[in-house]
Order: sequence, then C-alpha cells, then structure tokens
Amino acid sequence: MKAWPHVRAALLAAHLLAIVLMALPSPQGGMNRSAWKDPTVQGELAAWTLRLNAVGIGMQQPEVEELAWNLANAYEDGRGVVLAPFMPYYRYCGTWQSWRMFVAPHRFPGRLTIDVMERGEWRTIYVARSADHTWRATQLDHDRMRAAIFRYGWRHYRRSYGTFGSWVAARVIEDFPDAERVRLRFYKYRTASPEEVRTHTEPEGEYTGALILDLKELR
Amino acid sequence: MWARWVAFCSRTEAGTSIAVFRIAMGLCVMLTVGWVIAADLVDVIWVDAAYGGMSVVHPSWWVAQLGGPTPAVMRGLAWAGVGAGALLALGLGGRLTALVTLVLVQCTVDINGEAGGSYDELLQNGLWLCVLGPTTTTLSLDCWLRTRRFTSDAPVGVWARYLIVIQLVVMYGSTGLQKLSSYWTPGGDFSALYYILQQPSWHRFDMRWLAYVFPLTQLATAVSWFWEVFAPVWLLAFHYSATADQPGRARAFFVRWHVREVYALIGLVFHGSLLVLMDVGPFSPISLAFYAALVHPWEWRTLARRP
Repeated sequence: MKAWPHVRAALLAAHLLAIVLMALPSPQGGMNRSAWKDPTVQGELAAWTLRLNAVGIGMQQPEVEELAWNLANAYEDGRGVVLAPFMPYYRYCGTWQSWRMFVAPHRFPGRLTIDVMERGEWRTIYVARSADHTWRATQLDHDRMRAAIFRYGWRHYRRSYGTFGSWVAARVIEDFPDAERVRLRFYKYRTASPEEVRTHTEPEGEYTGALILDLKELR
Repeated sequence: MWARWVAFCSRTEAGTSIAVFRIAMGLCVMLTVGWVIAADLVDVIWVDAAYGGMSVVHPSWWVAQLGGPTPAVMRGLAWAGVGAGALLALGLGGRLTALVTLVLVQCTVDINGEAGGSYDELLQNGLWLCVLGPTTTTLSLDCWLRTRRFTSDAPVGVWARYLIVIQLVVMYGSTGLQKLSSYWTPGGDFSALYYILQQPSWHRFDMRWLAYVFPLTQLATAVSWFWEVFAPVWLLAFHYSATADQPGRARAFFVRWHVREVYALIGLVFHGSLLVLMDVGPFSPISLAFYAALVHPWEWRTLARRP
C-alpha cells in the first residue's frame, strides 16, 4: 500500500508528459509541398518575408519557403523520435493532442457547387451555404460534411474527392432519373477585405477542381 | 520535489466537480454521435465506399471483428455509442462504462478522419479522463446503488480534477501557440477572425457585414490570441483559487482579481460567439464540459443551494 501513492504519482506524471509533448506546436498535416503552393500559404510566406526583411534579415520568399520547409521537416523528425514511446498511449487511450485549429484564415476558400446535365443543359442543384440550391443540404451542410468538403478543396485530397464524387453521382441517379452527367467543382475566390466589401469591389473567383461523371456508365 | 508531488497527488476532495464533468461528457457523446444519426449520415461518412459510403474508411480492430464498416455494423455501433453516453451521464458502471463509451466513440468518429475535427479528440481525451478518475462517486446511479442516495461526500483524489483542467489549458495553449499566421500575431493587423468568418466552410450565414464592424473583429482576434497563448496562467489562477487559504502575494493577487473567473468569462463569450456564428460541430459543448472542473466542489454545493 505504501508504494501506491508513488506509483500513482509516477503514472500521473507520465500522462502529463505524454500530453504536453504531443501538444507542442507541430506543422504535421501541413507538410505537403503541393499545399504550400496554394495562394493562402504563399500569402503567409510573403507576409513573413516582409517581416523578416523589416528586422534586417534580407531573404527572398523562395529562400524563406525553403528554410521553413527544411526546419519543419527536421523538427518533425525529432518530434517523431520523442513521441514514439507514447504512441500506443495516444492510439488506444484516445489521448491525441492535435490542436491545429484555425491556425490561419484560408484567404482563397472554395465553395462546392454541384450541377447536373439534363437534356444537354447544366443545372445547378447545390451550392454550399446557398439558400437557392439546396439539394441534400441537410446532409452536405452538416459540420462533418463541411470538414470533409473543406479538405477536398485541397489538391492533395484529390483521391478522396474522387470517391466523394462517386457517392454524389450515386445519389444524383436516385434523385434525378433523367440526369445524364453530374459535375462537381469549387468556386475558388479571394475573400474580400473589409475595404472591398464596403466599396462593393469584391474580387471575382474562378471554378477549379471540376469533376464530371457520366451517369449513363454508372447506371 | 518528488515528495511534494506524491503528497499533492494524495490530496482529496468531494467528487462533485468531476461528477458534473462526467455527466456533461455523457451528454456530449449523445450529442456528437446522435447528431450524425439524426442527419442520416451514418451510412454516408462512417460506412466504407465499398458499401455505399462516401469515403474509403479506416476501421478499428473492433469494427473489423464485428464484420467491417457495413451499414448494419456502423448503425449498431452508433446507437450503442448513444446508449453508452446515456449510461455515462447517469453514472452507471463506473470506469468500465467510460471505457466502453470511449471504445465505441473511437469505432465511429475515428473511422473517417476527413469527416471530423479536433472536437473528436477532445471528446476522447475527456472520456479517458473519466476512465482514470472516480467520476461516479456522487451524482450517479452507482452512488445510489451503494448508499441509496444520489449524492455522497466520499473523497476522491484532487488529481482527477486537475487532469481535466490541465487538458483544457493544454488545448487552448497549444492552439494559441500554433496561430503563427500574420493575421493572428502581434505585428499584423489582427484580421484573422474577420477572414476566418468569411470562409463558407464554417460560417452559419453570410458574414460580410463584419466589414462594417472590422475594429471589433480586430479586438476579438487580439483577445482570443492572448487568451489562448497565455492559457497556462489560467491553470495557475485555478490552482491559487483552489488553495486560497495558503499564503503568498501572487496567490492573493489572483484571488482578489478573480483571474480564474475572468478567464472563464472570456471562454464563455468565445464559445457562445462560436456557437452563434460558426458551425464547427460539438466543439463548444465539449469544451464547456471541461469547465465543470474549474468550479470547486464547494462552489457547486453553493450553486445547488441557491433558489
């Protein structure tokens, strides 16, 4: 019985060490070179280049990007070694500490749009957050679907986006018997600054990531 | 140092605060899993694409043993999760119920990492703390079965409540330290919240009107960032308020200026705003469940006695 207080104190200390180490800042999840080419990330790198230049560190943006990439990789390698002994504790006891929440605003978000082709004409059936195009909105607007669709807007989730497209196609076949094709795409735009909103000069966007599925083949 | 740590871990108090936390966690499980069932999404996000789902999912060992991520298995697990959450809230089955609930939650929400968020991790962390701590000592059916009363003054280790508060502070502090964007940090224009609220992925309705109150969003950004980065101060304030009878100038200062309460008030405003303006799932309810541990057991009794 005399040993128990010491054992308990040691276990509690181990728990605290495990969660604090795991919670230390990490770029994990963002370590994808194609994601770094997104204008939102490039904008961040440009802002940090300006900051570094302002304090006398003369570096160009590509140099800052390369330095950040190398530092982040080295840090992640070291972090992996330190966390390795605790991995079973995180996995089986649900003690992951991944708190990278809204680390930066996405200045170039994508708004999912779904169209169906009927008798040779495209018709919009769903636009994210639209009051007019609301096909299956109770499902597609759910917070878990928002999380998934947000990810599909990034290039490195292309495979998942394709699987999602097949699911959408199957639902379109159920709901629109005459539909010939379905098209998914993201309207990608730069979010307007306060000045642009106030002066009604909001920037135009463009459609990206078009995924067109022939429903005749799927029927 | 070690002797002091062992002595601290051996201190006890009434189990009211961790019991309230356990009840809140049970309700959060019901909300988190039940909300997916209510939206008719189990077959969509938790079932594998091979059986009609929208993703290639990653089933746990338990799911594989039950027959894989098929509609029947995943629906069964989802309803079992809701039931386990109810038992946890009622306080029947002690740590075993918390463990079963944790496994069921992992079987469901972890199966598709793309259709979830940090709230899933926070929920699992909270459930694990219900496994570690004796949360059914009071305000539970376990207590009633043991004493024929729903409440009890039986002592529990204070460490259980500290673990909950530390988890909350670790979450806020960690997310704050990772907000390195020029939109968040001092030296920038504190426009992060304005721009985040423009993202269609998360807002509940069109937020362009914020352009007309932009300085308010800048203030909110700055307050959020400092509040999160300096969250460890909250832990200190909590500890000082729990040991207010002990000497020390810093302790007296923190208690006199209600630092713990001020931090909690900012948190309540933060999560209230989040609930109204953004759809980020059950993140706010789950976070607020942890706030139950910030309230001392004697304060819960005072609150309960108020008409």
